[in-house]
Amino acid sequence: MTTTLKWGALMIVVAACVGYLIYSASGGSSEYYLTVSELRSHQQAGDVRVAGVVQNDVLRSDGGLHVRFTEKDSTDSVVVDYQGPLPDIFQPGITVVADGKLGADGIFHARNVLAKCPSRFSTTPYTQ
Amino acid sequence: MILAFIGSGALLAGLVMGGFSMLLSFWSGWRQNAVMIQVGRRAFYAAAATVVLASVALETALLTHDFSIAYVVEHTDLSTATPLVAAGFYGGQEGSLLYWTLILCVLGSASLVASSRLGLRLAAYAAGILAGIATFFLVVLVLVASPFDVLSVTPPDGLGLNPVLRDGGMLIHPPVVLAGFASFAIPFSFAAAALLAGRSDAAWIAHTRRFALLAWTLQSAGLVLGMWWAYHVLGWGGYWGWDPVENVALMPWLATTAYLHSSQVQEHRGRLRAWNFGLVITAFLLVVFGTFIVRSGVVPSVHTFAISAIGPWFFAFLFICVVFSGALLALRAGSLKSEKEPAPALSREGAFVLQNLLLIGVVAVVLWGTVLPLVSGMLGQERVVGASYYERAAGPLLVAVLALMAAGPLLPWRRAGREAARALRWPAAAALAVLVVMVAAGVRSLPALVTLPVAAGVAATCGFEFARAIVRGRRHGGWPNALAPLARRRRRYGAYLAHLGLVVVVAGIASSHFWQQERDVTLSPGQQVSVGGYTLMYTGTEQRQLADHSELVAAMSFGDRTLEPARATYAGLGGQSLTHVAIGTTATADVYVILVGANADGSASFRVLVNPLVSWIWAGAIVIILGVVLGNLGERSPIPAPVLVRAPQGAT
Repeated sequence: MTTTLKWGALMIVVAACVGYLIYSASGGSSEYYLTVSELRSHQQAGDVRVAGVVQNDVLRSDGGLHVRFTEKDSTDSVVVDYQGPLPDIFQPGITVVADGKLGADGIFHARNVLAKCPSRFSTTPYTQ
Repeated sequence: MILAFIGSGALLAGLVMGGFSMLLSFWSGWRQNAVMIQVGRRAFYAAAATVVLASVALETALLTHDFSIAYVVEHTDLSTATPLVAAGFYGGQEGSLLYWTLILCVLGSASLVASSRLGLRLAAYAAGILAGIATFFLVVLVLVASPFDVLSVTPPDGLGLNPVLRDGGMLIHPPVVLAGFASFAIPFSFAAAALLAGRSDAAWIAHTRRFALLAWTLQSAGLVLGMWWAYHVLGWGGYWGWDPVENVALMPWLATTAYLHSSQVQEHRGRLRAWNFGLVITAFLLVVFGTFIVRSGVVPSVHTFAISAIGPWFFAFLFICVVFSGALLALRAGSLKSEKEPAPALSREGAFVLQNLLLIGVVAVVLWGTVLPLVSGMLGQERVVGASYYERAAGPLLVAVLALMAAGPLLPWRRAGREAARALRWPAAAALAVLVVMVAAGVRSLPALVTLPVAAGVAATCGFEFARAIVRGRRHGGWPNALAPLARRRRRYGAYLAHLGLVVVVAGIASSHFWQQERDVTLSPGQQVSVGGYTLMYTGTEQRQLADHSELVAAMSFGDRTLEPARATYAGLGGQSLTHVAIGTTATADVYVILVGANADGSASFRVLVNPLVSWIWAGAIVIILGVVLGNLGERSPIPAPVLVRAPQGAT
């Protein structure tokens, strides 16, 4: 019976460790997914993600390494500033997810810009 | 047009045969009616034949550019190269479901042909469950997502494949990973059938293990090919992004890895039977769950899959599978209990159990990270986790698994004594040596200082085992026979070879993770950039015109090589552009160059990354798969075949 108890204890210890790791890691590094209007009232520190459609004002400088564009969703729009290579399908009209924080200057400084992949499962649906 | 009729007709016939096979197999299995069991099984083969026919029809339609079929129009065009047109088969939602069904039916038929040793009832139930799963897919294919929908107007050309997918990787990664996904249904069917029939003997383990191994190997290859493709084609410099699509492919693989280890405890010690059933079933449920969340778009992913009507169908299927398996396990758990006293913790079986718990812990971490947006979205503000969550939560667990790989093989079954503890000094010494070298070399990152020495310990353990076997073989038969024990017990030594491969993979992942260097630069022709000790010189750009796209190519001289990162522009697809990265592989690192853009004055901007030891990941993966394949080729089950009670022909 004692070995059974030992195994039970081991299981509980492992489960507790996993639980603690999930709790501590997700507490420290989870990010909020916000709409643009929520972004302006969001108080907490840390990075957030904002999804929106790229508007027709993409401004590239430094050979494309520095980009500034307006991202708009159903609620509002915000200027996004980003340093680095953009996803291939980046162009006005596509939906991107910017990952970063809103600066005091009112500009969203993105650490990362992800494009919603056009999907390996579909190109533009055929309409005629 | 005729192909569309053939295809949809075949699918409909397959649906009828599949449904018939399911009902008949369950009924005849329950009644132990040998003749009807045979009929049920053949009905499954017939359903498989119709699915093959439908697949042939779709492939023919693609290759002959039959633009009366919507699927052909949406995924190919006349200018696409033929191999990629053929790959259109699994390049879209509907076709990939058909491909999935095809693999399920073909592998399912093979597993049923091989199932005669298992006894009538178990084989009949397995056929019934396989037929049930195939029927579900055929319902979806016929009613919701048919690849044979016909357009009212036949357009002159198709829309073509997305440029990102126009790559050789498209020819291997999706079919392998989809086949892996589909194949998890087979061990599941046999596990659930064994529970239904109340059997869990050695023949069942051997049969299920074989197909679990097949699924595991396919999925391993699929995962690595996906990483390879992401790294070489998608051009962001990494190979794993913890995207939901990747996570759902990883979870069933982890559960099956756990099963392949814990099933040995059942083989050798007769323990953990209920747990093993649970693992096989969990792997399949994770597949169904993953397919549901990936294809219904309920979780935000970089890959937004076409929002389609199949979401609710997969949700219903998931619900049925969970209830069915849960009920089965609950019903039979009592009879699966081992009467023996549980093993002491310090033993081979103890190591396996702990490894299993840790792997399931990793599954829990990944699952939570994947569903967090869904759960938090329902409870209020939607939240997501990034790579750092997975690294912080799963990393320590994976390192603990690695430590068990160093210790476990040296521990004997039942109880470890003093001698076994002495054997542990080899991996410990290797780990210590690597640790000392790393500290002396100035490494101060704690995760690196833990991971790499532990990996060295695993390598030492495997090396020790190989050496011990060779010494033993030489003592018995001289040098010519030194390798005989390795061949005779190839399953064991194949597994150690796979462990060695994993050590190589871990070294690659850890090095590229901890010591990656990155630099963004704008260079004029003739200017140099140095990253991580590697020097590149930019020499200029040129414009090239190819069949379906134009390319802006930058030339970078790197030693005596020239790297040519490029940006391709596809005029036919609204000017969509595509990055072609250039990778210079040296013995110790990949120099990875992304062309970001060119300026009017002839200068160009780049992101240059130095990724240490990435090529070790691909090499190690090949070793892992080699170890598993060599270890199990021609392997007869080590357990004596069980006594089978065959019902007389025609008995009811």
